[in-house]
Amino acid sequence: MISVLRDFDWRRWRLVLTGGTIIGLILICAIFAPWIAPYSPYDLDVVAMLQSPSGAHLLGTDELGRDLLSRTIHAARISMEVAFIAASVGLIFGTLIGVAAAYFGGLVDMVLMRFMELLFSFPAILLAVVLMASLGTSILNAMIAIGIVFIPGFSRLARAATEVVLREQYVEAARAIGMGHGRIVFVEILPNILAPLLVEAAVAFSYAILLESALSFLGLGAQPPEPSWGNMLNTGRGFMGQAPWLSIVPGAAIFFSVLGFNLIGDGLRDVLDPYMKE
Amino acid sequence: MGRLISTRLAAFVMTLFAASIVLFLTINILPGSAAKSALGMEATPQAIARFEAQRGLDRPLVVQYVEWLSKTITGDFGTSFQNSVPVGPELLKRIPVTLELATLAFLIANLVAIPLGTLAAARHTRASDKTTTFAATVLGAVPNFWLATLLIMVFSLNLRWLPPGGFTSFVDDPAQNLRQMIMPALSLGLVSSALLIRIMRASMIEVLSSDYIRTAHAKGANETIVIRRHALRNSLIPYMNVAAVEFGFLFGSAVVIEDIFRLPGVGSLVLVGIINRDFPVLLASALTITVFVLVVNLIVDLAVGLLDPRRVKGSQA
Repeated sequence: MISVLRDFDWRRWRLVLTGGTIIGLILICAIFAPWIAPYSPYDLDVVAMLQSPSGAHLLGTDELGRDLLSRTIHAARISMEVAFIAASVGLIFGTLIGVAAAYFGGLVDMVLMRFMELLFSFPAILLAVVLMASLGTSILNAMIAIGIVFIPGFSRLARAATEVVLREQYVEAARAIGMGHGRIVFVEILPNILAPLLVEAAVAFSYAILLESALSFLGLGAQPPEPSWGNMLNTGRGFMGQAPWLSIVPGAAIFFSVLGFNLIGDGLRDVLDPYMKE
Repeated sequence: MGRLISTRLAAFVMTLFAASIVLFLTINILPGSAAKSALGMEATPQAIARFEAQRGLDRPLVVQYVEWLSKTITGDFGTSFQNSVPVGPELLKRIPVTLELATLAFLIANLVAIPLGTLAAARHTRASDKTTTFAATVLGAVPNFWLATLLIMVFSLNLRWLPPGGFTSFVDDPAQNLRQMIMPALSLGLVSSALLIRIMRASMIEVLSSDYIRTAHAKGANETIVIRRHALRNSLIPYMNVAAVEFGFLFGSAVVIEDIFRLPGVGSLVLVGIINRDFPVLLASALTITVFVLVVNLIVDLAVGLLDPRRVKGSQA
């Protein structure tokens, strides 16, 4: 065990480890929120409104006397859930579309990828905002809208990676022995295009947190009293002079989550493809 | 050359046409009736039916789309459901605001990214390179709406140097206009520079490792001159490719920042359209942003094609 730790290339994995530590702490908060948070995130206390950080309330209280630390910890759940589901929607549908486009080629490729390019031409926040308007404001719809925003990126990447794999001899061999399309895709192609998709997934996680926060900030994502870093920051806007902690704390939580996922993405890219580092 | 331009233009028109269909369909399946939003939740079924019949909302979507498209092409964006004001003139008033915001943000992003990216590349693998790369990573993680909030807290509420929001036209009062635009532009531009620093650094590293730069060094040229006279110009071509696309996206990202600083731009009109379920307003503003992004992409595409003779040759073959 000690020799494994001694031989481990810490320098090579330092970005992944740093990002992983940040995300690990946030995940612990998200999973164990009811046990870690000192108060309920919904309990109002009119006597303790807009209190600055103190021993009783480490990060202060909001305009309804709710404990800011407890709300920030509980909001981690929403952010992580949105990030996970939105990135998964993007990853699953984007990969299926990209692999199908490359595998079948011709008309299927043209139709699918032209549509993906079309979705890609919309600015992400505009597409997410318009989709939210269409789907209705709720956290589930935010997950779907953000997931749809990610599909074109994943599909482009999956298509490019599949095209490389399709030229490999083992795919030709699989076809030669009469393997079906489904088995070729799931056994031969998908495991071999996973690495770049995982790097993209880490980036998608960070972007999902940013987009969910932006949507909630605009009032289109999580709805009060449900705590979300975005809607907490939005509430804080009304009290910037009296209670700056209401704006600083949720913003810092978004910042550290995005930073953590970005570090993991950068680190994985360096480790999996050292040439991309430049 | 002519073929390159016509091919790109045809692709642009097709994409724009498809984008208009996607936007129209997405916006027109909004839950919650536009009539209820305009007339209030207590509106009677008869009043709702009359509202929808007057505005053609009771007809099939295809018919509505064809009518909307034919009017939009002639510059008629319809009238707002909320106040019956024509959307076109309102949009024309707002485009310069968003354009100014995006342009200032783009300038700031480049003023930060080009020197820092160049410095990092020139000091590749040394401490200043690592510091710059780390700074870009940190900057890239800052949500622009949080940065905007922090800037308001520091420069408006504490120091009282800058106004926290509002808009005065540059023509009416240039100094006040810049005082109002600097924080929104910084919020967008600084965050956007994170990506551009990385692109500039990568592009400059590639140019600095090329043979002609080595030859210049071998002839005894000083590093500053090599970078300024030889490397900078060549590394800016791939950089500008990405930067120009980023400019289009800055226009799109204005939605949140305009809301924070109460800027009457196209982005804030998107939100007005969503909150009021005002289809003509939402469609016109979302389409304007999309057209802008597509036009910028087209210009970049044409510029790259024209600057790179291999592409021109390829497209004519």
